[in-house]
Amino acid sequence: MVKSFIPGTYEEALELLDKNEMILMAGGTDLMVKKRNWAGLSPLFDKDVLFISELRELKYIRKSGGFIHIGAMTTLEDILVHRETPEILRKAVLLMASPGIRHIATLGGNIGNASPAGDSLPVLYILDAKIVIDGKGTERMVPIEEFILGPGKVYLESREMIKEIVINDVRFDMIHYEKIGGRKSDAISKISFAGGISYKKGRIDEFRCAFGAVAPTVVRSRKLEASVNGLGAEEIKKSYAELIRPIDDQRSTAVYRKKVCMNILDEFLDKAGEYK
Amino acid sequence: MSDISRSINKQDTNAKTSGSIEYISDMKIEGALHARTLRSTMARARITNIEFPEIPTGYYIVDRSDVPGMNRVKIIFDDMPVFAEEEVRHIGEPILLVVGEDRAVIKEIIDGIKVEYEPLVPEFGYVNSVIHYDYEKGDGEKYFKDGSRIITGEYKTGYQEHIYLEPQGIIGIFEDGKSTVIGSMQCPYYIKNAVVQALGIENDKVRIQQAATGGAFGGKEEFPSLIGCQVAVASMKIGRPVRLIYDRVEDIESTTKRHPSLIKFKAAVDEDNNIRAMKVHVSLDSGAYIGLSGVVLQRAMIAASGVYTIDNLSVSGDVFETNTVPNGAFRGFGAPQMFFAIEMFINHVAQELGEDNLEFRSRHLAKQGEATSTGGHFRDPIIMNKMIDKVMEMSDYKTKRKQYSAKDDFRGIGMSWYLHGCGFTGSGEQKHIKAVVRLRKEKDNTVTVLAANTEMGQGAFTTLRKIAAGVLEIPVERVIYNNPDTDLVPDSGPTVASRTIMIVGGLIARAALKLKEQWVDGEEILIEERYKQPDYVEWDDETLTGDAYPAYSWGVNVAEVEVDKATYEVNIRNLWGVYDIGKAIDERIIIGQIEGGLLQGVAYGTIEVMDTKDGRIRQRNVTDYIIPTACDCAPVETVIMDNPFPLGPYGAKGAGELPLVGGAPAVALAIENAIGKKVMKIPATPEYIMELLEND
Repeated sequence: MVKSFIPGTYEEALELLDKNEMILMAGGTDLMVKKRNWAGLSPLFDKDVLFISELRELKYIRKSGGFIHIGAMTTLEDILVHRETPEILRKAVLLMASPGIRHIATLGGNIGNASPAGDSLPVLYILDAKIVIDGKGTERMVPIEEFILGPGKVYLESREMIKEIVINDVRFDMIHYEKIGGRKSDAISKISFAGGISYKKGRIDEFRCAFGAVAPTVVRSRKLEASVNGLGAEEIKKSYAELIRPIDDQRSTAVYRKKVCMNILDEFLDKAGEYK
Repeated sequence: MSDISRSINKQDTNAKTSGSIEYISDMKIEGALHARTLRSTMARARITNIEFPEIPTGYYIVDRSDVPGMNRVKIIFDDMPVFAEEEVRHIGEPILLVVGEDRAVIKEIIDGIKVEYEPLVPEFGYVNSVIHYDYEKGDGEKYFKDGSRIITGEYKTGYQEHIYLEPQGIIGIFEDGKSTVIGSMQCPYYIKNAVVQALGIENDKVRIQQAATGGAFGGKEEFPSLIGCQVAVASMKIGRPVRLIYDRVEDIESTTKRHPSLIKFKAAVDEDNNIRAMKVHVSLDSGAYIGLSGVVLQRAMIAASGVYTIDNLSVSGDVFETNTVPNGAFRGFGAPQMFFAIEMFINHVAQELGEDNLEFRSRHLAKQGEATSTGGHFRDPIIMNKMIDKVMEMSDYKTKRKQYSAKDDFRGIGMSWYLHGCGFTGSGEQKHIKAVVRLRKEKDNTVTVLAANTEMGQGAFTTLRKIAAGVLEIPVERVIYNNPDTDLVPDSGPTVASRTIMIVGGLIARAALKLKEQWVDGEEILIEERYKQPDYVEWDDETLTGDAYPAYSWGVNVAEVEVDKATYEVNIRNLWGVYDIGKAIDERIIIGQIEGGLLQGVAYGTIEVMDTKDGRIRQRNVTDYIIPTACDCAPVETVIMDNPFPLGPYGAKGAGELPLVGGAPAVALAIENAIGKKVMKIPATPEYIMELLEND
C-alpha cells in the first residue's frame, strides 16, 4: 500500500523527500494518465507519492537581471498570463493541452515528465533554460539539455526535486513557433519547433532553433547555430537534416515529421532573410 | 396551431446539464458484483489450455460453459460467440469474465490467469469473402465493349470510432427465474432477443431496461447485445447482480467501429460525355465476425450511384472477414464510405473529360420519377436544384471555385451532394421489425407513449412527444415518454437507420389521431398502431431490386479549406449545408443533429485516424484517436428546406444519419481544389496530403 504525502511547506517537502524515496506528483496531468488503473481502483503507483503542486513557495515568475525565474510549480495558465513571460514561451503554452489542463499542469512537471513531445521543451532549450535542482542541503543548477536524458529520464537524484527554471530573457528580433498536432488544441505534438533570431548591423547575431518530438530529446545544435552566418540556407538545412531522426508511431510517420521539420526550417530561414 | 418545427426545451437537458441524470455507472444496485473481461492477446489462435490461479470464495469465472442456451450473440448473422470457444479470432476477443466484489482481487485473478495459445495464421487483408451480393440495373455490358471511353477509380476509407462520451456499460440481474438487463443502449429488443437465445429461456423471462445513454452513434446498436448476454449469463450463474462497465481504452480496443472499405468504379462514357454504364465493387472489412456487416454492405451498394441517375449499373460487394476487432453499425451505415467514393469519382470523371464538374454532375442528377440505383423510383419531389442553388449562393461557391482553381494559394472549396434512404433497407420494416407502438391515455388526461425507441442525445423523447402532443392538440408536458422497458412497451423497433421519426413517429401520429377521435376525459384509453409498408413499395430481397427505401432525405454541403504549405494541415474555414428532411420536428434539435453530424463527417474525412498493426488497434485512447475539439469547428451555416413526405409525421423524413454523409466528400473535394491533386482516400491526413504533393 503506497502512502500519499501532502507537505504544507517547501521545507517540509524536502524533508519528506530526504527520508523516503517517492514519486513526485505535480499537476498530475501526465502522471495520472500513465498510472491509470481500472476505474474505482487506486492509480498504479509503486512508491509513495509526494504531492507538490500546491507548494506556494514554488509558484512565482520573477525577473532578475537578464534572467527570468519561474518556480517549478507555476501552472501553465499563470505563465500564459504573466507579463514577464517571453513571447515565444507564451506561444508554446497557449497551444499546450486544453484550458482545464493548463490550470493545473506545471512547468516543472512538463520538464520532469521529459516526454519527447513536451511542448515547453524546445522553447526552454533555445532560451538556455537552467534547471535548479534542490534536495535537503544540496542545490545545483544544470542546463536543460543536461537535465533531460531521454524519454521519461531526467538527471534527478531520488532525494531531489526541481525548484525553479531560470531562463535567459533574450529578446529576439524575430521568433517562430510551430506546433503540429492531430487537431487544433488538446493534442500531443507530432512536431514542435521554436526559433529565435537577433541581428546586429544587418547580420545575424544570434540564431537559435530547436525541434521537438522528432528525436528522443529536443534537437538543438549550438555548434550549428554558431556557424549559420557562414552557411547558405541549403547547407543549414542539410546539417539539421542529419540531426533530425524521427520515428513512425500511432500519431504520424517519420517521413512526414522529417519533411515538415525541413519545411518549417525553410520558413524560418525565409523569415530570417526578410528581417535582415 | 403553431409550427411544429418551433423549438421547445429538450426533455433531458436539465438532468444532463445539472449532472443529476443517472448513467449506468452511477447506479447503485444492492449486492452488485463487478465483472472484468479476460481477452485474447492473439489475433488468431487455438486456446489449448487455461490455467487459473486459486479463486477465492465469492469470486467467479464465467465462460462459455456457463451459457445455458446458445453461445451465439443474436445479431442478424449469429456468428459471434458470447464467450470465445476453441479458437479466438481477434485481439481483445472476450474469453471469460472474472466476477466478484473487490475490483483489486478481480484484477489479481485476471493477471494470474494463463491462457496457452497455439497460434494460427491471421488474415488482415481483403481475402476471405464471407458475404457476396450483386445487383443489376439495365444492361451495361455492351457499353464497356463498344468503344465508349472507360474511366476507373479506386477509393479507400478508414476506420471510424464512435467515441460516445459514455463508454459501454451494462448490469445483469437474475431474480425469481427472470433475467433483467439494464444498460446504455439503442435497441432494447435486440438485447432481449439475444438474451433469450443465450439463456435459452422463455421470452417473458427476460426484461431489458434502457438506462440514460450518453451517446451512441450506432456503437450501441448491436454491441450491447454481446455484453448484455454476458451479464445475463453471469448473474444467472451467480445469483447476484453483475455490473460490466468498460473503461475508455477497453471500449476503443474491443467494441465495433465503422467498416474500412475499398471501393472500385468503372464508368463507360459516351461521346456526349454522359455516363452510360457503371460497374461498382465494394469491399468491406468486417473484422472477425460478420454481425451486421451484410446489411451495412447492402446500404453501401445501394448508394453506389450517389444522387445520380445511371441507367446501367452493375454493383457487387463482398464482406471480408479479418482477424481484427469486429466492425458494426455507425451513423450512416455504409453510406459514408460510398458517398465519399462516388462523389470523388464523379468529380474525377468530369475532370478526366475536361468538363466543368458542376455542369457534369447536374446533368446526371436524379429527378423525380426516375429509377433509383436498384430500379425503384424516386416518387416524391426532389428539390436538389433549389438546394444546390441556395448553398452556392450562401457560400459564393462559383466565384471561389474559379478563384481557388486559378491560384496556387492552397485554398479550396468543395461541394458534396448526397441522399440517405430512411428506415430499414428493402422490406426490413415489414418483414423483420414489424413495429408496434401504443399510446395510453391515463385517467388524469396525460398520455404515455409506449415505444421501445431510446433517447441517446438525439432528441427522440422530445420530438416523439411533440408529435403526439401536436396531433392531440394538448400541451407537450402532458405527454410522457420514459426510458423504454421491454416489460412495459411493445417492440417499436431499434433506434437506428434514421427510422425513429419517420416510422415510429408516423405510427405515434396515427395512434394519436385515433386517440383524439376516441378521447373521453378522465378515462383510460389504450391505442395500438402497427407498421404497414406503403403499398407502392416493392422490393426483392434476392435480387436487391425495387424500392430500397420508402423515402429519401437529401443534403448538399460546401466546405472551404486552406492547406498549410509547410505542414500540410487542413484548416476548415467554413461549412455550409442545405437539407431536405421533409419537415423539421424541432428546429434546434435538428440543427444540433446537423452540426454534430457534419462535424463528425468532416473529421471522418480528415483527422480521425485509426489503424491496426498485427491486428491490434494502434490508437487506443482519446489522446491518440483524435476527434475534433471546439477549436476545430468551423462556422456552420445551415438551411432546412421543407419538402413534406406524405407518409411522415408532419411530413418528416429521417435526419439522424444524413448530416454525417456529406462531410467527408465536401472537405475532400475542397482539399483537392486547394492542392490540385486527386484525393483517393480518407482520412486525408497531412501525411497523405504531403505524399500527394511530393509524388508529382
